[in-house]
Amino acid sequence: MKKPIVFTSEHEMPPMAVSLADMGHNRTGSWRYLRPVYSEKLAPCKNACPVGNDIPRILSLVSQGRYEDAWRLFRETSPLPGVCGRVCYHPCESFCNRKDFDEALSIAAIERFVADACFDLEDRIPERPKRSEKIAIVGSGPAGLACAYFLAKDGYAVTVFEGASQPGGMLRLGIPPYRLPRAVLDREIELIARWGVEFRTNTRVGQDISLEKLWEQHNAVFIATGAHQSRALNIPGEEFALTGLEFLKAVNAGKTIALGKRVLIIGGGNTAMDCARTALRLGAHPIVVYRRTREEMPAIAEEIEEAEHEGTQFEFLAAPVAIRKLNGKLEVQCIRMKLGEPDASGRRRPVPIPSSDFIMYTDTVLKAVGEEPDLAFLSEHLETSEGIVIERAQGMLERAGIFIGGDAQTGPSTVAQAMRSGKEVAQKIKSFLRGERPPKATTLEEAVRVNFNYFTHRPRVATPQLAVSERILSFAETKRAISAEQARVEASRCFSCGVCNSCDNCWVFCPDAAIARINGHYEINYDFCKGCGVCAEECPRSVISLVEEEL
Amino acid sequence: MRNFTLPERELMGSGHLGCQGCGGALAMRYALKALGEKTIVVIPACCWTIIAGPFPYTSLKVPVLHTAFETAAVAASGVRAALDIQGDTETTVLAWAGDGGTFDIGLQSLSGAAERNENIIYICYDNEAYMNTGIQRSGATPFLAWTTTTPEKTPKSEPKKDIMAIMVAHRIPYAATATVAYPDDFIRKVQKAKSIYGTKFLHVLAPCPPGWKAPSEWAIKLSRLAVQTRVFPLYEVENGERYTLNEPKDDTALPVSEYLKLQGRFSHLTEKDIQAIQDLIDKRWQRLLRQVRESA
Repeated sequence: MKKPIVFTSEHEMPPMAVSLADMGHNRTGSWRYLRPVYSEKLAPCKNACPVGNDIPRILSLVSQGRYEDAWRLFRETSPLPGVCGRVCYHPCESFCNRKDFDEALSIAAIERFVADACFDLEDRIPERPKRSEKIAIVGSGPAGLACAYFLAKDGYAVTVFEGASQPGGMLRLGIPPYRLPRAVLDREIELIARWGVEFRTNTRVGQDISLEKLWEQHNAVFIATGAHQSRALNIPGEEFALTGLEFLKAVNAGKTIALGKRVLIIGGGNTAMDCARTALRLGAHPIVVYRRTREEMPAIAEEIEEAEHEGTQFEFLAAPVAIRKLNGKLEVQCIRMKLGEPDASGRRRPVPIPSSDFIMYTDTVLKAVGEEPDLAFLSEHLETSEGIVIERAQGMLERAGIFIGGDAQTGPSTVAQAMRSGKEVAQKIKSFLRGERPPKATTLEEAVRVNFNYFTHRPRVATPQLAVSERILSFAETKRAISAEQARVEASRCFSCGVCNSCDNCWVFCPDAAIARINGHYEINYDFCKGCGVCAEECPRSVISLVEEEL
Repeated sequence: MRNFTLPERELMGSGHLGCQGCGGALAMRYALKALGEKTIVVIPACCWTIIAGPFPYTSLKVPVLHTAFETAAVAASGVRAALDIQGDTETTVLAWAGDGGTFDIGLQSLSGAAERNENIIYICYDNEAYMNTGIQRSGATPFLAWTTTTPEKTPKSEPKKDIMAIMVAHRIPYAATATVAYPDDFIRKVQKAKSIYGTKFLHVLAPCPPGWKAPSEWAIKLSRLAVQTRVFPLYEVENGERYTLNEPKDDTALPVSEYLKLQGRFSHLTEKDIQAIQDLIDKRWQRLLRQVRESA
């Protein structure tokens, strides 16, 4: 009934007080001053993901057993789900709203499961217009690979130049296979190549080909050469120490390194942890010497735990001051440190305690006190300050079509951060080639509030691990995959923050029956919605916002 | 995630005159979802007299008989008798009254119908005062609550009347409490009532945002908190004897202050007042647990 009934005389009225129509003429929507609107929010996990994986939607697909769809959704935002599911330090999990309820979702384990389950799948490569512009990418680490993938998807002709014999950069040279099996890396690089990316290995820019030449032959150049230059200890006898990263590269390349029994690793970052765990697998006893305490270690907490779990010893608040060789053994003179005032990084500065020197005996010393980008081939345009690359003239390189990203720009960071950088550069290059301004990055504008009342406590899935006794015998991957059933159950723990999963609560709780369900979606009838706000309040995942009506 | 499964049918139309966030309107929506089209609703003077719409309109898609304040149960009994004479045993007769028409004004006719074990479902949607006429205290108004007739300086000094105990004492086949934040429980209880012959009584807590002085979006939150703080536990009593506790299941209850602090009608309470209310709730909770235990 759209119109009110109007009686013009008593004869038109029924003989007794009986209703003749429904209340459809009464548009209670006019009472409303707040309008509920479905507006999906950026989930904190997705916001925290450096490559912007659409985690709530992916987990929703996994919870329905739709692993292939989940894998394809990963590949929309990242060419390396198998790699990231293993080596990413998963900032998504640190921001997971579920951690305030019981435990964060095990997102990395699910990503890895999906990648493994879909190992044999291929991307569907659509017919797309070939573009004439040619792009050179220097370096095939995560930054270079990500950039290549996203440019190639848009039809650009991409050539990746790699100094080593195989592509992968630090993923292949630096990360030990017990964290990242090479078959996974090979497969994901192969899939990137399918998009038409050409890999030119054994070609070191600055040696085998000059940057100038690349620049002349291409419309844009991306420099993603990483940070491979190890920092020096600057102490007497430094020549007796091996470089941690070179050690890792040699072992990862299959070379035999005689370490002896005791190995001292100087430094507290991820390279140091990789060195310690690799040394363990070569039968040595690693001791990490770090000048601050465990809390200040720059390595990812999980790596520190694993290294310790496997048998690495730690010597905190100690720094080497000299290395001497005695009868084939090394004698490392260390000094005891204490923590002083915070430095520029916010960590407390280590201060030597006078006359506290002590000696540590060892067979090998590995130095792993940080890496820096080596951009000698660019030296006339750039300078580095504390590992950060600064252009001599601001923006000059980009105006010429030369872009720098990944660790080469920032100093050592994470795989995911390098991928983010590569992805951003791909966008910058597209804008550059089209003569446009690059689009602005989106940020989290509204916090997602979860209504915990609609959830029950359920424990997080535990990632199966090889036993330590088995682990240290080989370079086999230490973490095992979770099962399909575990992945499905774990994914169903997701709150689906900010993303509607058709739970029906808005429809259930509307006191005005003003919400319709249409194929798993909802429509609010604003003719009748009074704007009480119950739907927004009871939405478990903040999908509904209340906005003020315009008068 | 706990998902609700509600019958699809929608027998309460939009455009009704319930206030924003009306718990009473939502309760009717659930009740009719549970009962279906073969239902006649009998409504005495209460909010729903207005909510349903003025002559010549109705917001319900089932027949409604509007009747006088004190007559919900007896009018429903009459409708039932008429249907029985016609041989219609399929149609459910639902008496739908507020707390004023149940706890106070309609109590004698309700008692009479219960004593005769009339075959009706009687649902009291309790918003804890005469809300429709401007928030006057009723026998259902909670201890120390503000209403326009129990102003802040002299808030209601008597505890809420225990209507469930009164109905249970009639040894009717089924009596239960329900509230709008628990739609599955609500619908199950209405359907269970429908399946039983005789007088069935449901006491439904229906949050009233204007009368409770709370934002309308908190209607469900308040209903849920009433259960979680044990102010309004959900339970069933069969044949005046068998008690079953439904919610809250946990041993740990939220303090009653969590419920009270959201409502303007309790904003004048002192710490001591809140403790007095907590003591009352704890005592009733212990009694309920005892009743559940003893009937097991």
